[in-house]
Parts: sequence; structure tokens; C-alpha cells
Amino acid sequence: MTGLWKERLRRHQLGQFKYLRLIFNDTFVLAFIVLLGALGFWYSNLLDTIHSELWFGKIIVVLILFVTVQSGHLATLLEDPDSTFLLVREKQFYQYFKSAENYSRAIPIVLLIVVSGVVSPFAFQAGSIPVFDMSMLALSTIFFKMNLLDVELLGIYNKGSISGVSLKLLLNIVYLIVMFISVYTSGIIAPIVTLIGWIYFALQNKKQCESGQLQWQKAISDEDQRMFRVKRFYNLFTDVPGVTSKIKRRKWLDWLFSSIKLESKNTYTYLFARGVVRNNEYLGLFLRLTILQIILMSFIDNFYISLIVEVLFIYLVGFQLKPYFKEVMQNLMQRLYPVGGKDKIASFTKISNVMLLIQWVVSIFPIIYKFGFSINSVIIIIAGLAVILFLNYIYMPRQLKKYLDNGEF
Amino acid sequence: MTLEIKELTGGYGQVSVLKKESFKVEDGQVVGLIGLNGAGKSTTIKHIIGLLTPRGGQILIDGMSLNQDVEGYRKKIAYVPEMPILYPELTLKEHIDLTIMAYGLDHDKTWENANRLLKTFRLDNKLEWFPQNFSKGMKQKVMIVCAFMTDARLFIIDEPFTGLDPLAVNDLLNIVEEKKNAGCSVLMSTHILATVQDHADKFILLNHGQVRADGTLDELKAKFDMQDANLDDIYIKMSHEDL
Repeated sequence: MTGLWKERLRRHQLGQFKYLRLIFNDTFVLAFIVLLGALGFWYSNLLDTIHSELWFGKIIVVLILFVTVQSGHLATLLEDPDSTFLLVREKQFYQYFKSAENYSRAIPIVLLIVVSGVVSPFAFQAGSIPVFDMSMLALSTIFFKMNLLDVELLGIYNKGSISGVSLKLLLNIVYLIVMFISVYTSGIIAPIVTLIGWIYFALQNKKQCESGQLQWQKAISDEDQRMFRVKRFYNLFTDVPGVTSKIKRRKWLDWLFSSIKLESKNTYTYLFARGVVRNNEYLGLFLRLTILQIILMSFIDNFYISLIVEVLFIYLVGFQLKPYFKEVMQNLMQRLYPVGGKDKIASFTKISNVMLLIQWVVSIFPIIYKFGFSINSVIIIIAGLAVILFLNYIYMPRQLKKYLDNGEF
Repeated sequence: MTLEIKELTGGYGQVSVLKKESFKVEDGQVVGLIGLNGAGKSTTIKHIIGLLTPRGGQILIDGMSLNQDVEGYRKKIAYVPEMPILYPELTLKEHIDLTIMAYGLDHDKTWENANRLLKTFRLDNKLEWFPQNFSKGMKQKVMIVCAFMTDARLFIIDEPFTGLDPLAVNDLLNIVEEKKNAGCSVLMSTHILATVQDHADKFILLNHGQVRADGTLDELKAKFDMQDANLDDIYIKMSHEDL
């Protein structure tokens, strides 16, 4: 069984590395560094403005840690055929799940340490939490994560609830209360309570895994959903096969298409326009990045950082529309249409133009708000427009043409 | 409309599935393309519609090849794939509009055809539906509607009878008959021999990427020397030949 786990893990990690390599491409790393810099800058400015304890300081610290502790789940790496082929070996799965649980611990622990570290200065300054108490609180988050993972494992043995109430929910409520008690009285309480919980659930697990009945269907669908969430995240940055995004009708937005006449030359404009509006992935990408850009630019006073954010975010939205073009080109029926590649690219450019121009116009507001009617504002605004022109008239047409010519699809 | 395949050789990548395949579909003919899994039926179809490029030989529609006039060639063909392929973000109505736009068809006249077909296949009250709400059979019906509402002269249907309910199979055969009477040609690949036996004028039996035999049922009976046989018997005899 450990052999099976090792093989699964190896294959899983290989897949993850493949995607991570695709995500951390040059563009993304650049964007990431700028974003990190901008956030760091904003955070340090924020800390400078806090001179005495805030009444909500402790509450924010507790909530941030509480939200962070929810991330990361038990990765069982079970696959659909397991419920047929490995059914007979059910009793030996304890060892497998133990390895799975150990593996699932690593990422949340790292994340919790990092977040605790980042929150600490705020906790000291705005929450007046002593260093010792803060460390204890951080330690308790790690212990509590172990509780949650154990409970998830109990869940796939159908023991994840007490008389219909989810055990996870109960634990979360208890932990939230314990955290508040801890920050307002003594920091040592949280780690002690969570440690006791961890020991209790670990013992429970051993008992269940050896005598209980594994809920294959639930275990496999849980793992499917977990992988789907992970892949959907990767899908924000790169193409992940097998991830189909949700489609919503959004009839109330149909007026957007009214200007597209039903003519042969508009075939692809008709298609692309509906796609970007109804496909949650592309609409989501556009809204997320645009809103984030507006928020960042409303805080940044520095001309150069503002300039980079403007250029970068428009570039990112434009660049990440490319997978949509490819997605449509994969459709076999459209390849039979008597419509040339040039028209397909022209239609895509049109849609991309509309989206990026909306983003550009919206971004003008925070620019004016921060820099007024100055030469700096004008430079940033013109730079944004230049990126749109570069993307849609130089970079994208070539990329898309190359894609069509190579017939990679 | 005539379709002529002359010594077609081709396949995927370096593997040649088809080896010097030749046959002809005449004006107003319904032709059944028959063969075991892997005999080359779908590969033949993919070559005809232009998704694969032949390594040798010629495919001519009314004497014209794909290279001579890509758009003209494509406008003559309507294709119904084995697995329905739809746009997830378009409603049924929009699929019809898009097809009209893509093929440059007359909007009102085509919609008239489409409405008639939608009614036949009981889809006329589902115009606002998304593909994700359709069952496999319904998706296939959408593909059939989008293909048969056009002005195409050659209709190519890959495995039309699997996944459709008996009523829909019957409706499809009526539509095929209608197109035939209008002088169009129909090429369909299938395993459901009993159905195709009664509705096709001619059969092409494929084996290992080559045409083993072709002709009407009577001609095939003579070729295989099986006077009382039906298509099933002939098909099985052919399959046993190379064992």
C-alpha cells in the first residue's frame, strides 16, 4: 500500500510540477514580484499609520489566521477506478491514508507559518498581542490544521458528523471561540486545547481506519472535487485539459450583442462575444484583474509603480484571453466553416479590443484620483493605450496566426 | 452532386489507415459506408470533409477538390459527426444563427427549414437551452438540424443511428429520403445494417482501409455468392475472410 501511495504521489507531483512550471513563466514572475512589492509597500505604509492599539486589531488577526487555517485539504489521490480494482484491499488502506495525511500536512504548515509571520507586525502594533502569545496562536493554527485533516479522514469513513451536524463545522466554531479567549486572556490556551484535540482525533482515526467502512464513492468524489479546485486555480494561468468552466446564460446582458449584425463576416464576433460574457472563466478573469488593478492603483502614490501596474494588468488580461481563442479553435465543426483564418483573428481582435478598452477607461479614474490632471496621469494613460495597440495589432495576430498555421489543434 | 474518391491513401500521422481506396457517390444516391471498427470509415469521412489531408489520391466533389476552392467545396458539404460537437456558450437558437452566418445562408429561408426540422425532432420548445442541458441524443438532433437546414448538396453522416430514439431514427430516414428526392447525395457510415439495408441505394464495404466490395444489395449477393443473404450475413462473411 505504501508502494501504491509512493507511485501515486510521484505521478501527482510530476503533474503539479508541469503546471507550476507553466504558471511561473517570465510574465507571471514579473507580475508576481510587482504585486508583492506593491502589497508590501502598502502594508508598510499602513503599519506606519498605526500608533496605538486598535479596538478591532485582535479580531482581524484572529480572523486572518482562521481563514488561512481553512486552506488545504486531505489529498488522498484516489482515482475513479480504485472503487472497482482496489475494493478488496480496503482494510489495508490505513497505511495509505496515513501517508496521504502526512503529505497533506506540508503545504498548510508552510502557509500558516508564512501568514503568521506576515500578520505578526500588525498583531504587535494594532492588536497589542505579545510576541509569546502570537507564537502560541500560530502554533495552535498548525495543531488545529492537524485536527481538521484527521476529521476529513474520518469523513471518508462516514464518521465526519455527530447526529447530522458536520464535525468540521463544530470544530471550527469551537476553535474560533478558543482563539478569541486565547488572545484576550492567555496565549497558552489555544495550543493546549488544539493539541488535545489532535491526539484525540488521531486515536479515533486509527480505530476507524482499521474497523470502519470506507465510503469509496464519497472519498473519490471528494478527491475529484479537490483536484478540480486545484486545476481550476492552475487554469487561471494556463490551459488545463479537463477543466471546463461554468457557463451562465446571463440573458440580461444580451443587449451587449445587439450591435453584432447577423452577417457572414461577423460569424466569429458573434461567437466570441457570447463566449467571453457567458463563460465564467473569461468574464471572471477580466473582472478579477480589473478590480484588483483599480484597488491597487487607488492606493499607490508612486508614479513608476502605478505605471507598471497599468501596463501589466492590461497586458495580463489581453494575454490570458488567448486560451479562449484556442478553445474555440478546438471545436471541430467551426473548422469546416467556409470562413478564413484572417476573419477569425480579426473577430478576436475586435472582442479583445472592446474588453481591454473598457479596462483602460475604468483605470483612468484611479489615475486621475491619485495624480490629478498632470503630465504623470497622461503618461500612464497613454502607456495603457500603447499596450492595447501592441497586444491586439502586433503581438496577438502573429501568435494566433502561428497557431492556426501550425494546425496544432 | 457527385463525390469521387480516387485511390485515396491517408491516415493519422505516419500510420496509413486507408490504402488506395476508391469509390463513387452519384447524384441523388444514398450510400452506406460499412466496415468493422477500425476499417477506416471515420478516417474516410475526415478526409472528405477536409480535416485530414490525403497522402495520395484525390477527393472530388462535382469534379472540384478542396484545394481548388476551399470555401466553395465546404459549402457543398454538411456533416453530422458521430459525437455531437456544440459550443457550450451558445443556445440552440444561436447555434442555428451561427451556422447561417458561417455558411452565408439566407436567414429567413433557412430558419423556415430549421423550424420544420426542430418541430420534427421535438426541439422547437428548447430554443433557449444550452448544450449542457441536452442529452446525448438531443445534441445529435441539434447537429442533424444544423446540417440538414443548409443548402449543402452532399450530406455526410457518421453513425447516425446510435443514440437516437426509434422515432428520431425514423424521422432522420424521412429527411434523408427528402434530400435524395431533391437530388442531393448522402453518405452514411453505420453498424446498424438492418436499418441501412432498407434505406440505402448502394453499399461500400470497407476492410483494412480498402474497398472490399461495393454495389447494391443484389450486386453484393452476387459477388459473395450468397443469394438469400441479407447485409448482416454478407458483412459477417467478409469479416471472416481474413481470419
